[in-house]
Amino acid sequence: MPFRTFLGFVLPSVVAMLMLIALPLAGVVYLSLWNSYTKTNFVETTVRTPVGTRVERRPVAELDAAGKPVIVREWYGSRNFETVLGTANLAEAWERDRTVASGGQPASAWQRFKALFRDVTNVKFWGALEFTLLYTAVTTPVILALGFLIALGVNSVVRELKGVLIFASLLPFIVTPVVGSLSIKWLFLDNAIITVWLEQLGFGKIYFMQNAFTTRLLIILVGIWKATPFVFIVLYAGLQTVPSETREAAIIDGANRWQTIRYVIIPHLMPLFVFVTLIHLMDAYRVFEPILVFSGGQGADSLQHLTYKILSDEQNFHKASAAALMMVLGILVLLIPLIIKTYKDQRRAFA
Amino acid sequence: MSQPSDTPNLADRMPFWLMALTGIGLTLWVLAAAFPFFWMTLISFRLPVDAFSVPPKLIAPFTAEHYWQLWVGDRFWLKFLNSTIITVGVLVISLTIGCLAAYALARYGGALGFWLLLVALIFRALPHVTLLPSYKFAFFELGLWNRYETLIVILVAINQPFTIWMLRSFFMNIPRELDEAALVDGCSRIQAFVKVILPVMWPGIITTGLFSFLLAYNDFLISSQMMNADKMTMTSALSAYMNADDDAFKLMQGVAGAVSITAPLVVLVLFFQKQLVSGLTQGAVKG
Repeated sequence: MPFRTFLGFVLPSVVAMLMLIALPLAGVVYLSLWNSYTKTNFVETTVRTPVGTRVERRPVAELDAAGKPVIVREWYGSRNFETVLGTANLAEAWERDRTVASGGQPASAWQRFKALFRDVTNVKFWGALEFTLLYTAVTTPVILALGFLIALGVNSVVRELKGVLIFASLLPFIVTPVVGSLSIKWLFLDNAIITVWLEQLGFGKIYFMQNAFTTRLLIILVGIWKATPFVFIVLYAGLQTVPSETREAAIIDGANRWQTIRYVIIPHLMPLFVFVTLIHLMDAYRVFEPILVFSGGQGADSLQHLTYKILSDEQNFHKASAAALMMVLGILVLLIPLIIKTYKDQRRAFA
Repeated sequence: MSQPSDTPNLADRMPFWLMALTGIGLTLWVLAAAFPFFWMTLISFRLPVDAFSVPPKLIAPFTAEHYWQLWVGDRFWLKFLNSTIITVGVLVISLTIGCLAAYALARYGGALGFWLLLVALIFRALPHVTLLPSYKFAFFELGLWNRYETLIVILVAINQPFTIWMLRSFFMNIPRELDEAALVDGCSRIQAFVKVILPVMWPGIITTGLFSFLLAYNDFLISSQMMNADKMTMTSALSAYMNADDDAFKLMQGVAGAVSITAPLVVLVLFFQKQLVSGLTQGAVKG
């Protein structure tokens, strides 16, 4: 295809991406370096009350000739980043004297580390990073194992059942994330079915939404529930491509079921395991809806939710931009292996 | 995907205990996957006392009051209309410009095509919230706030990287000889594309379309920030009911809303299960 024709075909798509992805990204960098506020003046008014007069000072937004409030823009440099990262709190946490434990005896290294860790994760950004990483670290191995087991299981049942199993599995994956999280939350409210069942089974009344541990547990559970189908479907499709000759050869050589799985099937599926892991790492890094639904950031927060909160509650574009950029840094690290892989694959295709 | 039926399957010679274990495991999984939906639908037709009763009841008096309150009282039909406009808009524009770009990327061998795909991959990995400060700031300043067009254009753009990657992998499967034959017969590029390639591309377009649909329909983050209450989609309108745990009737309307949002998706899976599965595995199985 000639270059000019190529340009013509890709133009609309490229313009859309330039204007609404590349340009906004540059805009976020710009916004993060500034601060802005509505200019206000204090107006003194004399108020007469029965007990005498007093002078009140009230802030009033200054208006320009067109009657719109005057916005002051101020160069902030790295200050938005410092606010987001809580550098002042970090320095304080680092310098705090922790040599004496609460009981009066000298603190052990582990106690000191724990106290420092707590102080650091009390800064919202680091707390959000901590839970984001915890969420990723717990869900990834679980969905890989669970998805693989389900794929093996579905592969071994009769054909008629497969359709039903795949249909049921697609539901958590396809459902609107907010709705999926809510549907699980409604099972764990104080009077909801699973809470009541657990109580009847003798686990005692658990107030799932009231403490950080159970909230975190539920968020991770929702993550597993939602991501497992994807792993299952991809690995199940992969299972259909295992050459039957290889499998037969292994059986003839005396391999038992476990050995066939371990030495024939898993190596064959390895590229798929890598693929779903990469995709899940990226998805887990930007976990948002379960946090919004279950904790609202209390007890468990994620980087994407934190940025959203700064934007929607504080209405601070500048601080939100700084938080967003800190998030991009992380995604770049995650992306490096994927970019290298694509680079190799595609260079072959384009050569 | 499916193999000839005479190939040996893992089911052959499966010992009984393993069969039983598989059966139990799969049953548990299906329950875990589907029960939240089943229960949510069931309680949405109940009064709050029956929906969250101790002990839980399987059978309780039926009421459609929450749906009535939600759709008519809270004017959820308006949100349904908004969702329809946004989703259809995103679907049509996204597929149109995505097909053009993906086709060119599948047929052009130059370095620019390669770099474009690589940049698209990076864009695809960006968390959506990273662009939101700019959107909010810019569209507010420009006075393009709270408009269908704005949200559609934003969703189309952030959907493009995924769309062109997926469509391209489908176009790669169509033999080049097909376009070349059309070109030799006197078609222009665009004629060859529209008259020869598109007709055989339908499976790919439907599959990609399903995922574009899901992105627009399921989006909460951007829709809830770019629209006011009257223009919100169903998904983002749910935020009003989300933290109403102490108002039982409000909570139940939220349940009814969640069921209303899920219903079209269940229909979608029923009709397009095969395409969804093929879309999920596209690009994965081939490496």
